[in-house]
Amino acid sequence: MSVDFLHPGEGAAVDTSVPALEMRGIDKRFPGVVALDNVDLTLEPGKIHALMGENGAGKSTLIKIMAGVYGKDAGTIRMRGRELDIKSPRDSLKEGIKVVFQEIALISEFTVAENIFLEGYPTGKGGSIDWRKIRADSAALFNRIGFNVDPAARTGSLPVSQQQMVEIARALAHEARVVVMDEPTSSLTPNEISLLFTVIRRLAALGIAVLYVSHKLDEVFEIADTVTVLRDGRHVSTRPIGDHTNDTLIQDMIGRRIESLFPRKRGAPGSKVALSVQGLSTAKKLKDVSFEAHAGEVLGFFGLMGAGRTELAKAVVGFDPITSGTISVDGHRLLPHDTHTGVRLGIGLLTEDRKSEGLMGELPVYQNASLASLGAFARMGFIDKAGERKAVQDYVDRFRIKTPSLFQEIKNLSGGNQQKVLISRWLMRGLNVIVVDEPTRGIDVGAKSEIFALIDRLAGEGLAVVMMTSEMPELLGLSDRVAVMCEGRLTAIMSRDDATQEKILNAAIG
Amino acid sequence: MEMSELTQSSAPRRFIGGQLLGSSQLVLGIILAVLCIAISIAAPQFYSEANIIAILRQCALVLIVASGMTMLIITAEVDLSVGASLAFVGCIGMAVLNSTHSLVLGMLAALAFAGGVGLFNGLVVTRLKVNSLIATIGTMMMLQGGVYLFTREAVQNHHRLVSFTDLGAGYIGAIPLPVVIAVAIFAIAAVTLRFTTLGRYLYAVGANERAVRLSGVRSERLKLFAFVVTGLCVGVAGMILASLMNAGQPTAGRGFELTVIAAVILGGTSLLGGRGSLFGTLLGVLVLKVIDNGIIILGWNQDLQMVVPGVVIILATYLDIIRNRANVR
Repeated sequence: MSVDFLHPGEGAAVDTSVPALEMRGIDKRFPGVVALDNVDLTLEPGKIHALMGENGAGKSTLIKIMAGVYGKDAGTIRMRGRELDIKSPRDSLKEGIKVVFQEIALISEFTVAENIFLEGYPTGKGGSIDWRKIRADSAALFNRIGFNVDPAARTGSLPVSQQQMVEIARALAHEARVVVMDEPTSSLTPNEISLLFTVIRRLAALGIAVLYVSHKLDEVFEIADTVTVLRDGRHVSTRPIGDHTNDTLIQDMIGRRIESLFPRKRGAPGSKVALSVQGLSTAKKLKDVSFEAHAGEVLGFFGLMGAGRTELAKAVVGFDPITSGTISVDGHRLLPHDTHTGVRLGIGLLTEDRKSEGLMGELPVYQNASLASLGAFARMGFIDKAGERKAVQDYVDRFRIKTPSLFQEIKNLSGGNQQKVLISRWLMRGLNVIVVDEPTRGIDVGAKSEIFALIDRLAGEGLAVVMMTSEMPELLGLSDRVAVMCEGRLTAIMSRDDATQEKILNAAIG
Repeated sequence: MEMSELTQSSAPRRFIGGQLLGSSQLVLGIILAVLCIAISIAAPQFYSEANIIAILRQCALVLIVASGMTMLIITAEVDLSVGASLAFVGCIGMAVLNSTHSLVLGMLAALAFAGGVGLFNGLVVTRLKVNSLIATIGTMMMLQGGVYLFTREAVQNHHRLVSFTDLGAGYIGAIPLPVVIAVAIFAIAAVTLRFTTLGRYLYAVGANERAVRLSGVRSERLKLFAFVVTGLCVGVAGMILASLMNAGQPTAGRGFELTVIAAVILGGTSLLGGRGSLFGTLLGVLVLKVIDNGIIILGWNQDLQMVVPGVVIILATYLDIIRNRANVR
């Protein structure tokens, strides 16, 4: 690796007439799903291009194809007119495409400098690694992006925001022409976000084409020059950011107006307290959290990453231990603090992590659905299998769960249908309070509105729904009241009518 | 177009083929049949009533413990201490028989000890969260050493109880008593796994313990149960073995745990938990013991008794992988 990368063409005029990267007619299929259907994307040097879309729109598939993680089924990728054949992440990097994924792919035990030069350590006499040069070059790279990280620091000890900078420095070390930032702000504080934006603008000034992947409107309006929207694996629009308003962008993303995505059929919430939480603290995260949820109400909890939503969800249902505080369901204390008691009192969790906490992947759909209510089908300890299957079939019909049969292994169902089975698991049991954690994570746009309708219906049937979410539209579209968390504390509770994005974000920052 | 039609029409056929091959039990059944026919042709005495009874008797001990072990492995845990416990149980049972002259008290002592070992394993795994492979290796070493603290040599039969001798050598009709006991334990375990809520929960815990716990089921208790049942099975098997040897042998049961686990795995039960059946285990036991018997009857070198089953396990597991791949396609 030469030293040339440190100052090539700095400040030189960027030729924007030739695209840095051109993707044409990209198709990608997975078993049972068309992830990308004839998608085009053109990135210009020196420009920041936002790629937007809901979960499941195809954003990550597209950038994984760029990164060489997936192969494409059809289409071409050209860089400055030359067709690329990307077969592996290594190829992609060699061609000058650097993708900074949300889950950062650095070796946490290595130093920053070691990570930057991972693919090719400069060597000195006799093939030994020239450590001094590595450190010096690393420092020079950070100098160029205008952000300083200690090259000798152990990477794992750095906050995510600085690890991102290490990734960006790696991109420069590889003389990347295209840098992709995948949802880079999801775990950053507002301060860190503005620093990141400065660095991203600097990359563009160096003539690098930046692809900024996000579903957050405000960020895109702040930083992007151009926006491409994907929906259900298809290209919807590519326009200069100036041509968009909030509403037009949302409409492009969800394909309809926001009201129709959240059809409210339930009436006003009742006044009966179904769940009362007082002074709840846990060893690691939660500090003195108190709130009440009423029967027939959706109480939405918002917070940035690390705010403690999932921790609260797991503590409230008795899954994770607490250090102090009380939890009461319909007036009965959750004692002893375990899920066995919780379910008996009628509180259950719809987990955010379906694979490791919800699904029994290799077991059939009907066994997954009946797991929490097996006792109802037992006679002298024996399962009434006919009754069990009939009850499950009932839910499969009512919720239009798409499965070839009740005997299908649940891992073969789509995310939306898996989620419906898990909701059925609780409905078959019968609950007073359901805690739903990121209920639409990893679910197609089409199925999302069905999940929303189901949540609306749960509250309509008199359950108290406590919903943890990081999606602002979901929060505002479904909740009767909004609670906001920041670093393990509850910072605000307001009614839906009082809640604005600004108020919520302010409370989330703390 | 022609191509796609071709693949489409062949797809269902391949699927049916996959279905037929679909049960690992079928593969195992075929292996068993081929083995029996081949050995019978080479050595007709294989097919004699006496030899068949002998094979069944040898299957009995393994099947008893494998019944419990199948439940345990379905919950994604394993117990490597069963061999060491088997020897210890025989010594303790025999000592209690010698001092009390009561078969009931001897059996109770054996069951209490072996059940206690299972309970200990279960508590270490569920409370201390020690991986069961490591925990039960620890228990195995404690028992292997501990039995010599208890007795330096075999505990001989000083009580001469006829009912104790019958435990290993007796018959009900033409069927050896150990076989009857094994079939009974096997049947209870099979019905439990197949038809009861308890059985369903055992599969569920192996498939995803956290999901089971979130559903309000006490998953630790299910695992504890499976450990204790495995222990109790060892208690029964240990007394039968002591009866057959007419002594409590501290050296007995070496490698027994491997035979048991091999039979369970061979029968298609997944070490990852959540998948498996007792019927498969039965076939697994039969295959291993028919091979054993065949090697003796054919007059081959007896060291092959370890070598051949080793080869069979690798082959059967490989066949299973091929079958799964065919299913995915």
